[in-house]
Amino acid sequence: MKRFKNGIYAVILMAMSATATAQDYYIYVTAESDDEVAVVKFDGKTAETIKRIPVGVWPAENEGPHGITVGPEGKYWYLSMAHGNPYGTLYKYETGTDKLVGSTQLGLFPASMQISSATGLLYCVNFNLHGDMVPSTVSVVDPETMTELEQITTGAMPHGSRLSADGMKHYSVAMMSGELFEIDALDLKVSRALNLDEAAKAPMEMDHSKMDHSKMDHGAPKQDHSQMDHSKMDHSKMGHEGMKHSAFKPTWVSPHPSKDVVYVAGNGQAQVLEVDTKSWKVTRKFDTDKGPYNIDISPDGKYMVVSYKTAAKTGIWDLDTGKELARLDNSQKVTHGVAISSDSRYAFVSVEGIQDDPGMMDVFDLKTLKKVATAELGKQAGGIAFWKAED
Amino acid sequence: MKLLKQSLWAIAFMIPIGLFAQKEIVIEPANITMDVGEKKQLTAYVTEDGKRLDDKVRLFSRARKSLFIDSTLTATAYLPGTFQVIAIAAGKRKNFEVVVNYPPITEVKIDAIPNKIYAGTPVALNFKVMDKAGLTRDDVTVEFSSKNEKIARVDNFGNIMTLSTGKTTVTAKAGDVENTIRLNVVKNPIARIELSADGDAARTGDVFHFTAKAVDAKGNEVADAPIIYSFNGRADDVSSSASGLIKQDGRFVADKAGIYTVTASCGVASAQKTLRIVPRNVSRKIEQVGHGSVNDKHTSDFWIWEGQDGRDYAVTGTWGADGTAYFWDVTDPASIVKIDSVQVDARTVNDVKVSEDGNITIISREGASNRKNGLVILDSSNPRDVKILSRFDDRLTGGVHNVFIDKGYVYALSGGQKYYIINIKDPKNPFIVSKFELDTPGHAIHDVWIEDGIAYSSNWSDGVQLVDIGNGIAGGSPENPKQFASYAYPSGANHAAFPFRNGSTGKFYVIAGDEIFPYGLDMNGPNMAGGFLHFIDFTKMDEPEEIARFEIPFAGSHNYWVDGETLYVAFYNGGVRVVDISGELMGDLLAQGREIAFIRPSDPNGYIPNSPFTWGAQVHKGHVFYSDWNSGLWSAKVEPEKPKGTKIESK
Repeated sequence: MKRFKNGIYAVILMAMSATATAQDYYIYVTAESDDEVAVVKFDGKTAETIKRIPVGVWPAENEGPHGITVGPEGKYWYLSMAHGNPYGTLYKYETGTDKLVGSTQLGLFPASMQISSATGLLYCVNFNLHGDMVPSTVSVVDPETMTELEQITTGAMPHGSRLSADGMKHYSVAMMSGELFEIDALDLKVSRALNLDEAAKAPMEMDHSKMDHSKMDHGAPKQDHSQMDHSKMDHSKMGHEGMKHSAFKPTWVSPHPSKDVVYVAGNGQAQVLEVDTKSWKVTRKFDTDKGPYNIDISPDGKYMVVSYKTAAKTGIWDLDTGKELARLDNSQKVTHGVAISSDSRYAFVSVEGIQDDPGMMDVFDLKTLKKVATAELGKQAGGIAFWKAED
Repeated sequence: MKLLKQSLWAIAFMIPIGLFAQKEIVIEPANITMDVGEKKQLTAYVTEDGKRLDDKVRLFSRARKSLFIDSTLTATAYLPGTFQVIAIAAGKRKNFEVVVNYPPITEVKIDAIPNKIYAGTPVALNFKVMDKAGLTRDDVTVEFSSKNEKIARVDNFGNIMTLSTGKTTVTAKAGDVENTIRLNVVKNPIARIELSADGDAARTGDVFHFTAKAVDAKGNEVADAPIIYSFNGRADDVSSSASGLIKQDGRFVADKAGIYTVTASCGVASAQKTLRIVPRNVSRKIEQVGHGSVNDKHTSDFWIWEGQDGRDYAVTGTWGADGTAYFWDVTDPASIVKIDSVQVDARTVNDVKVSEDGNITIISREGASNRKNGLVILDSSNPRDVKILSRFDDRLTGGVHNVFIDKGYVYALSGGQKYYIINIKDPKNPFIVSKFELDTPGHAIHDVWIEDGIAYSSNWSDGVQLVDIGNGIAGGSPENPKQFASYAYPSGANHAAFPFRNGSTGKFYVIAGDEIFPYGLDMNGPNMAGGFLHFIDFTKMDEPEEIARFEIPFAGSHNYWVDGETLYVAFYNGGVRVVDISGELMGDLLAQGREIAFIRPSDPNGYIPNSPFTWGAQVHKGHVFYSDWNSGLWSAKVEPEKPKGTKIESK
C-alpha cells in the first residue's frame, strides 16, 4: 500500500512540476508604518502591488501590522497588529476578498505566527518591544473561533517563530535573552530551551542523528519541561531589568521541511546556526553578512534564504553543501522578511526602507540566483506570507 | 495537459478518503453538567474505526474565567452558563458544550430602611439576589408584595409608597426564596417645605444651589425628611425642550432659555421656585488669521513659545512620514513662516514639547528603522538653526507617543504602558531617574501633562491618574513620583487630561478627554471621530465627581488648552471649539450654549484636501494656534469678549 501511495504522489508531483511554468504568484506583505497590507502578484517577470488593504481601526494612531500568515487551507490570512491599549490584536481575513472576519486580543506587540497543520491552532509570539527585558509569551489561538486559549511564557522579546513540518513542535527565539524554545504544540508547554549564546560558542556537534540517545546515560538529572507549569512562575521578583542582552540576538527560526533540524538567525553575530532537534545541539554554522534577520527554507528542503537586515542584502544558501550560492543586493535599506514560493522557485523578500521610503518586495530567482523583480509597497514593508501560485 | 492535471488532482483528493480510516475524538461523559465550584475529571480520547488510540487530546474552554480545563483535563466551573469547549488532537478537532448549572437562589438581600417612615413619603428598596455560590444574580426576576396595601404599596422595582400610618411588611420573592422587611409608617409631621435658592434668574449653564427644609406645624425642621428635587419648564423656543440637570443635593442647571420651576417634595408636601433663564449669549466671531501649510505629509502635535530673542516660534511634528519636525516663526500670526526643520530616523514624530526657557525641544520617535525609537533632544535656543543634542532610547524602544518637559525633567511614555522620568539637566547626557506605572491588569497609558508639580496622566480604562512629582501634596518628587488621586469612567477611552482651576468658584477640575473612532477608517479620505470631554470635579481629591461634559455630535475630542476660563479644544473633524468654562460647571456644556466659537481648517491643497482633522490647540499672546493632521499649522483670532454686566432681558 505504501509503495502504491508513493507512486501516486510521485506522479502528481511530476505532473505539477511539469506545469510549473507561466504561473502567477500571490504574496501578502504588511506595511507596518502605513497600516496596510499589500497583495503582490508576480507573473514570473514583473511584480506588482495589485491591492492595498487598509487595516486597523484608528486613523490617527499607527497600529503597526507586523506578522502575517496564510492558513494551511488557504482560505484565510491572519495579521498581528502590534500596538493597542496596550495589547496587540490578531485579525482574520478571508483570502481573495480580504474581508475581515474576526479578531482577538493577544499580548504585547504580537509578531510572527503560523497555524499548525496538526492541531489547527495558531501560535503567535508576543514580541513585547517595549523596553523592559522581561520574559514574554507565545499566544495560542483557536483560529476557527478566534479565541486565545493560552499564553506560554518564554524569553525576552520573542520574535521569529515557526512550526515543525508535522505541526507538533513550535520553535521560537527570544531576541534579548538569546534562547531557542521548543513548545509541544498540543501540551502547550515549553519542552526544551537552548542558550544560543553558549551554543554559538560551543564546538559543533558530530552527526549523532543515527545514535540512540535514549539509551545513553548523560549523568545529569533530566529536566522535563513538559511537567513544569511555566504559567505560574513569578517573574516579577527576578530582577529582569538586569537581564542579559544576548550578543547572538536570535531573530528567527525556521524548521527544515523534512529533516530534524531548525535554522536560527543570529542577528547580532552574523551567523545562522543549524540546530539538531534530536540532539538539541548545533550541528552547522553559516557565516552570513551583517544582521541576518529572517529565514525561509524552500519546500523542497534545498535552499535557505536569509534576509541580511543590516547589510541590505539577501543570502541564498545550498543546504546540502552548506555554501552560500549568492549574496544579492536588495533594492533599498533594511531587509526584512522572506517567503519562498510553494514550487521552491522564487524567494520573495520584503524591504522596509527608512523614514518615508516606500516599502519594497524583491523577487529572487533561486535557479538563476538573480533579483528578477521589485514591487513597491507602503512604508516599512515587513511581514510577508506566500499565498498561492496559479496558472 | 489541463485534463491530465485535473484527473491527477481528483485522484489526489480521493486518496485520503480511500486509504485512511476515520478518526474521531470521543468525550466522556457525552453530556457534561457541573455545578459552580465543582471540579470534574473529563475523559477524551481518539478512536479509529471504533478502536481507542493513545493519541493525546487537549481540551480548551472558550471562556476560561468561567470554566477552566487544565492539561490533565480537569474542569473547574467558576460561573454558571453553557460554555463552548474545543477538543484538539493531532489532525482532529471537536467542539462540545459543558453546562454549569445555575446555583439555587439562597437570599434576596435588602438594605436597611429607616426605622420610621413618614406616611405619604416613598422608600426605594436597594436589593440584590444572591445564590449558593455567593454570586449576585441579575437574571432573576424579583416580585414584591405588600401585606397591607392600605398602609403601603410596592411596585415591581421595589419602590414603596406609604399611604397611611401603621405597621406592615413588604416581601421580595425570587423563585422560592423570599425576604420580608418590616415597615413602620408613622404620622407625617411635615407641614410644609421651605425652598430657597441663590437666585431666581440666570443664564443657561449657570448652576443654582437650592436648599430645601421640611418643617412641622410649629416651624421646627424635620431633619430626616426624605426630600426629592425635580423640575419642569417651558423653553422660550417652542421647538426646544426645557432640558437641564438637577442633582439630589439641590444643584440645578438649565440648558435652554425659558421658565423653569424647581420642586422640592416630601410626600404630599412640596414647594416650588420658578426661575427665569436667559440665553448665555457668549458666542463670538472667530477669524482665521494665518496658515503654515504642510501638505505633503500629516501634521501631528505642536508647541508655541517665545524665544530668547523675543520673537514667537512654533514646532510641529509629522505623522506617518519621514521623521521631520518643522520650526516656524509665528511672531506675525498672519504670516507663519517655516524657518528650519530637523529630520530623525522615524516615521512619526507624534509629540513635540519645548522647555520653559525655549532652549530645549524634545521630539518623540515612532517607526525608527532600527526599532529603537525613544526621543531626540534638540537645542532650540536659535529656532532658525536647531541642532540635535542627543538621542535617548533607554527603555523607550517600544516607541514614545507623548512627552512633557518640566523643570529639567522629561516625562516620556514608553510602549503605551508607563512613563519614565528622565533627567535632562545635562541634555547631552540624559538618564532615567524613575518611572510611573500602574499595576492593574492590562494597564495602558496615552498621555502625561505636568502643572504645578502634579503629573496628570491619561490611562485609558484606568482613567486620570494624579501623581505628585514635586507639588508636595503627597511628598513626591521626580525621583520618587507618588500617585494620590484618580478617576476612571466607564467608556475607558481616557486619552488626554488637563487641569483647570476655576478662579471665580475655587473649583478644581480635571478635564479628561476621550479618543474614539467609532465610524471606521479611511486613510485616503475624510475621517470622523467620536468621544467627548469629561469634567471631573477634583475639589475633594478623594471624592472626585464627574459633573459635566462637552460633546460635539459626530466629532471627537483630541488635545486642548485652557486660557483663563476659556477652553480651546481640537475636535478632529469638528475643528477647534472655543468653550466658556467660567463659573461652576454642571451638565451638558454644549446644550447650555457655552460654545463661544468654532473654526474648521479646510484646505483644498491639504494632504487630504478639504478634510479638517484638528490635532490640538494652544493660545499664545491672544491668538489661538492649532495644528491639523491634513494641512499643517494655523492661527485664528477670537473677537474680544462682550462687556460684562449685560442686562438680562426679561420676557
